Amino acid sequence: MQVSNKLTPFFENLNFERDDNTMVINFGPQHPSAHGQLRLVLELEGEQVVKAYPDIGYLHRGIEKMAENMTYNEFLPTTDRLDYIASTSNNYAYALAVEKLLGIEAPRRAQVIRTALLELNRVISHLFFVATHALDVGAMSVFLYAFREREFAMDLMEDYCGARLTHSAVRIGGVPLDLPEGWLKNLASFCDKVDYELEHTYEALLTENRIWKMRLEDVGVISAEDALSWGCTGPMLRGSGVKWDIRKEEPYELYSELDFDIPVSDRCDSYGRYKLYMEEMRQSTRILRQLIPMYDDTEPQLMAHAPQYISAPKEEIMTQNYALMQHFVLVTQGMRPPKGEVYVATESPKGELGFYIKSEGEPYAYRLKCRAPSFFHTGLLQKLLVGTYIADVVTIIGTTNIVFGEVDR
Amino acid sequence: MAQHQVNYASTAGLPIALTSVDKLVNWGRSNSLWPLTYGLACCAIEMMASGASRYDFDRMGTIFRASPRQADVMILAGTLSKKHSEFARRLYDQMTEPKWVISMGSCANTGGMFNTYATVQGVDRIIPVDIYLPGCAPRPETLQYALMMLQKKIRRESADMKKNTKQDLTTQTGKKRTRLI
Amino acid sequence: MRKYVPKDNVQKKSYYTDRFHVVPRVPREKVEDEHFVSVVEALAGDVKESYIEIGQLVLHINPEDNFKVLKILKEECGYTQCSEQSAVDYLAKDNEFELFWQLLNITEAKRVRVVCRLANASAIESVEPLFKSANFAEREIFDMFGIKVNNHPFLKRILMPDDWEGNPLLKTYPLQGDEFASWYEVDKIFGKEYRDIIGPENRDPAKIDVEDTKRFSRVGYEVEFGADYSTEEKDIEYSETLLVNYNKKSSKQLDERR
Repeated sequence: MQVSNKLTPFFENLNFERDDNTMVINFGPQHPSAHGQLRLVLELEGEQVVKAYPDIGYLHRGIEKMAENMTYNEFLPTTDRLDYIASTSNNYAYALAVEKLLGIEAPRRAQVIRTALLELNRVISHLFFVATHALDVGAMSVFLYAFREREFAMDLMEDYCGARLTHSAVRIGGVPLDLPEGWLKNLASFCDKVDYELEHTYEALLTENRIWKMRLEDVGVISAEDALSWGCTGPMLRGSGVKWDIRKEEPYELYSELDFDIPVSDRCDSYGRYKLYMEEMRQSTRILRQLIPMYDDTEPQLMAHAPQYISAPKEEIMTQNYALMQHFVLVTQGMRPPKGEVYVATESPKGELGFYIKSEGEPYAYRLKCRAPSFFHTGLLQKLLVGTYIADVVTIIGTTNIVFGEVDR
Repeated sequence: MAQHQVNYASTAGLPIALTSVDKLVNWGRSNSLWPLTYGLACCAIEMMASGASRYDFDRMGTIFRASPRQADVMILAGTLSKKHSEFARRLYDQMTEPKWVISMGSCANTGGMFNTYATVQGVDRIIPVDIYLPGCAPRPETLQYALMMLQKKIRRESADMKKNTKQDLTTQTGKKRTRLI
Repeated sequence: MRKYVPKDNVQKKSYYTDRFHVVPRVPREKVEDEHFVSVVEALAGDVKESYIEIGQLVLHINPEDNFKVLKILKEECGYTQCSEQSAVDYLAKDNEFELFWQLLNITEAKRVRVVCRLANASAIESVEPLFKSANFAEREIFDMFGIKVNNHPFLKRILMPDDWEGNPLLKTYPLQGDEFASWYEVDKIFGKEYRDIIGPENRDPAKIDVEDTKRFSRVGYEVEFGADYSTEEKDIEYSETLLVNYNKKSSKQLDERR
């Protein structure tokens, strides 16, 4: 039935019987364990990987180019699609970068809500990591259990902002909405649920599981020096024994007031990183529990007061002429931040998510660069995979926890 | 235990169900739609969620397959970039007939919010699409509804695939309609 | 007369700018922090300008000194991680690129941005021997801006396909792509001869194709699904996006949803 055109099947990807007895295989871009659209060209000698070449760009959508053609507020929903497993962390990183550029700070209640959403997103992302990593390694039941809890977290997100995946729940200068009634009560019961399930389901199923340990222990070993040199951040860096968490070292939002620990593992392998993710979820629920009483002590203001950049609250727009005029200018033309450049790093669930913004005083950013943690973790694959067996390739891709929305942008 | 008694004398001998071949074939086809795990971007996460605990796709006879040779439906979940387009078409060509395509999410339908140099502006430029599913990202319920609509469509079709009209690939030039499938 | 569009920067411009609007600047502070002062001293001769902008030290250097400066920063000042490196296009204004390296010191929790101006069509030295993260980052710079990097182990396009034309993040490159980009997938999959059949990309989401009876219900003048309407007389007027005359009488309500 097929019209003969350029699509007639061809096998240029496979090279059999080369002179040096190595075989080149193509992994992806459509592969169920490739976490998206990763294409790996692997050179194998028997079962062992001799050379690995990650080919990325299959999800390149030109997000950085879009930022140069959109006003600052217009661009915010696009950041959802970077790391689409934890959207709010991207919204927040972008909003924080713009806020630093403008020199404004969100009011206290907005900060409580933002921190709660960030930690909730961390739990969502880590649950997703456990689910997919276990599925890739072969433990299907963990996938089903972890998605069950993840759905409860999604319900909470949906209660707050109406969306399951692409939240846009953080705006430049604050948050758009107050928490709905009873949300904090649901959050508290969700924390209990996660803590219970962590101990009784995931860790019971995985931590001492013989197969799980055999598949993960001493697989994907990264030394601390390598991790730093290759630009690893987040759990990849902490899994190599380097205690570096931006929440602690360069605190933003309310993290300086909160009490939490930074788990570090010096095992340097996939198993250590898995344990670290589990511990980080516990710390996140600990933070969430501390945030619940903090909410009641705050004033109801949600957006920062900066009439030059941020629209006034709705009541003021409806009643006061000047606020309406400001709002009109901000919506039709967009805010004009001062001239300058800013780089702000935040600790997203995957690692250091930073936004570099170069502003020339126009309503459009002159240049926006998104420093995505997964991009550098993908780069590490070309070193990490060499010398491992083909069966461990999927484990190593799983442990890097890469998301292609932010690798390719 | 339930007891069934068939009175062979009154039903003229044997229990018989009458149907047409079309209906029988379509009954089989529509109730065991195996999609290809073709997650491209954000929608892939919702596609996974619809296969996981709460939404449970398996109850509809939908089991995700990783190989295009075993799949009936291609759910194009997410943004198709120009670099990837060649592979999408190659995967479609590898699927065996009968095959259907669901384009999931605005990015796959029209390019969506990514009106840029790197995004294919609608997958129907390269693959004939049966169901367009709006939303960014569509909820798992929406995907299940789309699959039910596809089942409905299959039941209406002829079992002989040659008789069915497929979506043309032509978009702009109305007069020239060449089938590219 | 055709509207003048500047060719050297085709990105979106602001619709309205007040003539008397003075653009403020983010304040640049003097380097007073103890650690940053020691960094500037260690680099004594190579730094052209140094200041602190939003909590981070910014060092301006000459483009040929980049390897030397980063080496000193890594080995003497403890900046062991290169978080990010990229470029900014200033070709329209100064015929230069601005390159920056964002470095991180983990023990002191400090960040430094090293900035240099690189003339058009000249190359930069790779810092890959110092920071392995530069491997991908420099390939991205090469892909997106076309800046050549000397001594890079594998300088090749990374995000765009190998046979792509143009460097997408240049200011001369339009957001929606050029001629080559708009036909890329058709050329690659079907071949150039299929361009006529498939037609150009539809970048306008509100566009209606009158003759397409499969995708568009012709409101008020419904015909059968997939009917060939190209030869019939057109009694409906469509504007570019809207139906103009709507015949309510001859419209029919479907009993069942299709």
